[in-house]
Amino acid sequence: MLLAVLFSNNDGNILVERFHGVPAEERLHWRSFLVKLGADNLKGAKNEELFVASHKSVYIVYTMIGDVCVYVVGKDEYDELALAEVIFVITTSVKDVCGKPPTERLFLDKYGRICLCLDEIVWKGMLENTEKERIKRLIRLKPPTEA
Amino acid sequence: MAQPFAKKDDDHDEEEDYSPFLGIEKSAVLQEARVFNDPQLDPRRCSQVIIKLLYLLNQGDSFTKIESTDVFFAVTKLFQSKDTGLRRLVYLMIKELSPSADEVIIVTSSLMKDMNSKIDMYRANAIRVLCRITDGTLLSQIERYLKQAIVDKNPVVASAALVSGVHILQSNPEIVKRWSNEMQEAVQSRSALVQFHALALLHQVRQNDRLAVNKLVTSLTKGTVRSPLAQCLLIRYASQVIRESSLNGQTGDRPFYDFLEACLRHKAEMVIFEAARAITELSGVTSRELTPAINVLQLFLSSSKPVLRFAAVRTLNKVAMTHPLEVANCNIDMESLISDQNRSIATLAITTLLKTGNESSVDRLMKQITNFMSDIADEFKIVVVEAIRSLCLKFPLKYRSLMNFLSNILREEGGFEYKKAIVDSIVILIRDIPDAKESGLSHLCEFIEDCEFTYLSTQILHFLGNEGPKTSDPSKYIRYIYNRVILENATVRASAVSTLAKFGAIVNSLKPRIFVLLRRCLFDSDDEVRDRATLYLDTIGSDMAQETDNDAKQFLFGSLDVPLVNLESSLKNYVPSEEPFNIYSVPKELKSQSLSEKKTLKKTNRLGAPPSGPTNLIDGYERLLSSIPEFSSFGKLFKSSAPVELTEAETEYAINAVKHVYEGHVVFQYNCTNTIPEQLLEDVSVIVDTSEAEDFSEFASKPLRSLHYDSSGQLFVAFEKPYGVPVTGKFSNTLKFIMKEVDPSTGETDVGVEDEYQLEDLEVTSADYMLKVGVSNFRNAWESMGDDCERVDEYGLGVRESLKEAVTAVIDILGMQPCEGTNSVPNNSRSHTCLLSGLFIGNAKVLVRLSFGIDGPKQVAMKLAVRSEDQEVSDAIHEIVACG
Repeated sequence: MLLAVLFSNNDGNILVERFHGVPAEERLHWRSFLVKLGADNLKGAKNEELFVASHKSVYIVYTMIGDVCVYVVGKDEYDELALAEVIFVITTSVKDVCGKPPTERLFLDKYGRICLCLDEIVWKGMLENTEKERIKRLIRLKPPTEA
Repeated sequence: MAQPFAKKDDDHDEEEDYSPFLGIEKSAVLQEARVFNDPQLDPRRCSQVIIKLLYLLNQGDSFTKIESTDVFFAVTKLFQSKDTGLRRLVYLMIKELSPSADEVIIVTSSLMKDMNSKIDMYRANAIRVLCRITDGTLLSQIERYLKQAIVDKNPVVASAALVSGVHILQSNPEIVKRWSNEMQEAVQSRSALVQFHALALLHQVRQNDRLAVNKLVTSLTKGTVRSPLAQCLLIRYASQVIRESSLNGQTGDRPFYDFLEACLRHKAEMVIFEAARAITELSGVTSRELTPAINVLQLFLSSSKPVLRFAAVRTLNKVAMTHPLEVANCNIDMESLISDQNRSIATLAITTLLKTGNESSVDRLMKQITNFMSDIADEFKIVVVEAIRSLCLKFPLKYRSLMNFLSNILREEGGFEYKKAIVDSIVILIRDIPDAKESGLSHLCEFIEDCEFTYLSTQILHFLGNEGPKTSDPSKYIRYIYNRVILENATVRASAVSTLAKFGAIVNSLKPRIFVLLRRCLFDSDDEVRDRATLYLDTIGSDMAQETDNDAKQFLFGSLDVPLVNLESSLKNYVPSEEPFNIYSVPKELKSQSLSEKKTLKKTNRLGAPPSGPTNLIDGYERLLSSIPEFSSFGKLFKSSAPVELTEAETEYAINAVKHVYEGHVVFQYNCTNTIPEQLLEDVSVIVDTSEAEDFSEFASKPLRSLHYDSSGQLFVAFEKPYGVPVTGKFSNTLKFIMKEVDPSTGETDVGVEDEYQLEDLEVTSADYMLKVGVSNFRNAWESMGDDCERVDEYGLGVRESLKEAVTAVIDILGMQPCEGTNSVPNNSRSHTCLLSGLFIGNAKVLVRLSFGIDGPKQVAMKLAVRSEDQEVSDAIHEIVACG
């Protein structure tokens, strides 16, 4: 299960958070845990350099793209490698929508499109689409080219 | 001229920082949502409002029931618009709002229409939305469309239906199970993603049908799997089949191993890793099977991708627990990871190295770890400390550098859990490695000089009180202890007073000086501290008569005569009244613990919980037995076995037995529990038949008067045997009792009938005459014992499954303590040396060196060298092996 996808800015403010199968009362804990993890490790990190951690039986892969931090959390079959795949899809799609690694402003400008991309990539805690071209077409309700 | 430019820059910055959602307010956005109701819809404006709503929801904002209903109804109006961008947002918005069952009906018809639309993407999205928001009743109406969608030629539609199937399976499995044919077809799809989703769904539907899973895996491993993701799933399912077939005792070649091995050469790293991990997790995996997997993981260790490095080191860390030798090949790559920027990777590398390292590399490793410790968080440090503890127990000769390391990190900053882990480790090392005692105690003393944790200070003081007086120079600890009385809080001061008293009671030369210190404590501001000081001054200071002295020691060092669990429950049941609590009212019977309780005890059995330790259990047994007059003449108890179950689980009566061995006697303690309500057992005894134990003759028996429902009690049977001789035998046992029916309403019983209950046999083996006592340095102990009473002989052990099995069997027969981790035998090794030590009955130290060899047809030969202080004992050990 992909438990969470979370975007935050450099100061730790949440831009997007999507949880799947995480009880409401635990979400705050996860949010602050992830933001702290980012604050400890992402400062000065290279763009899109991947970081990985595990906490209990849960895996976390996170990175920085432009001014935005991205965290994905998973367990069971969504281990560090599967999460790396998920975060790769997410970052490429975000870059694609924004045209470059986004500043916070650019990210918020393209907020709707990014939400749609996420909707295509993660479906109730499962990875659904992995190719950026396909996602790009799907969010415009256009069938993928391979069809 | 410069000014306008500067201004322009400022403006630009402001624009950069300005957020499109700045000052966004829920109520205002809800107002804006009214545009959805306009007869002339403006798709652009509507999209903007939806994005704002999404932003609010994604920030963790929640809508009230009324708000979300209003928004939901307004959003449904947007189905009128043909704008595709807006439609896509509408689908997302409906999913995010997750409307309640009575509201869903509003959009059902619109979504059903979209499900049959000619536009593929409408179909796909409508399926996803419908499956998300509908309940079982509507599902049966749309099932027909979903079935068609699975085999739709557009892969997006097929995937949407399949993924929806995975979710529907949780709530309505019977519906999804009817799609079997369509799923089969989808598994063969040319689209990679459709195949992946179909495989996941098909497996979930059939996961409880072993044959079906086997068939699925067999067919797919032969066919083409198009995406790496699906290939990973297939690897997982294949290892599930392997696991289940090994559980069923299938022999011969491991199925699908070749498939897993072939996956190690796949082009996707994800697949390679999955296969490598699957191989390492095979039960009873051999070195030959492991090697290719370890090789690819070793390559991953030097990958530029941190995720791959992490995955590889994590897997190798696990393998190192069972196959350290195989992982040792990766040590060089692993060492370079100690400086990895990612601290998780570095910690895993360190702990793996600690497991695989050999004695000669310990010092070098410790140097590297010292530099690394300051960079990592406490939770990682604890992992490292625990790894170092096991390393020290494995290589006791290296205790000096490892103990130094622990004392250094003890001085640095750290939280409670971390400090506790270090202190626990030092205590365990002191207990297991006698040579480490003095330096370990000094480190602990220095630590309490500056310890901010009351719990740790009191625990250390308690430990110091037990161990310190037995050292060569007990006086050096007094300063540290008395400093606590001056400097610390009341709890620690009270502990320190008890510790001082222990030194006074044991070390006569210190007694007068201790009295001076204890008298000073009489003026303490805290009641408890003063009370303890008064009590101890009175106990150890009254007069020097031998008897009083023993009593004082017993009072200070002995534990309570009753099991702590019983005391706790008695205290809980005690109602405060005029009558004081009487400790003699606490039952002394040890209740046999359930498995889960034993596990928890094992976990917590560190510094804080000595009563559950084996020594204290034996102390408890000894006191219990000596309180029975018939057994008081038997002398000192040599050994008590672990309880042996004599009944199967969940039978009417739960009975286990503990064998207590004395020089000239053996006592069986039967622990009985009555599990039948409305039944009372009286005059419970065990009839023991000794026809297969001729050297034993029954000496005394102590029956149990009565045994109520859900209560437990003990009865004893004692036997006489030749003095000091390790005789063996088999005893058959029958429980005899009078069974009385109890009327639950009145509590009255009937007259009762005599009954018998057959129990399992009990055996006294040679191992019962051997105490497991380790030595810190086997080689030194062996040399200093000398070969005066040595006896060496060779034995053929016949055909064995593996060398490991033979080694374990011999250790079990002898009942001795394996030293220096030599009881673990590397897989597939052809020869092995095992070192054992123990204390044989009559308190004779015994050291054993076992050399094993195995040949092609699995014939095992063993050379047994025994050294002891007495030739007869050495001969006796050989006899045990010869008979076993």
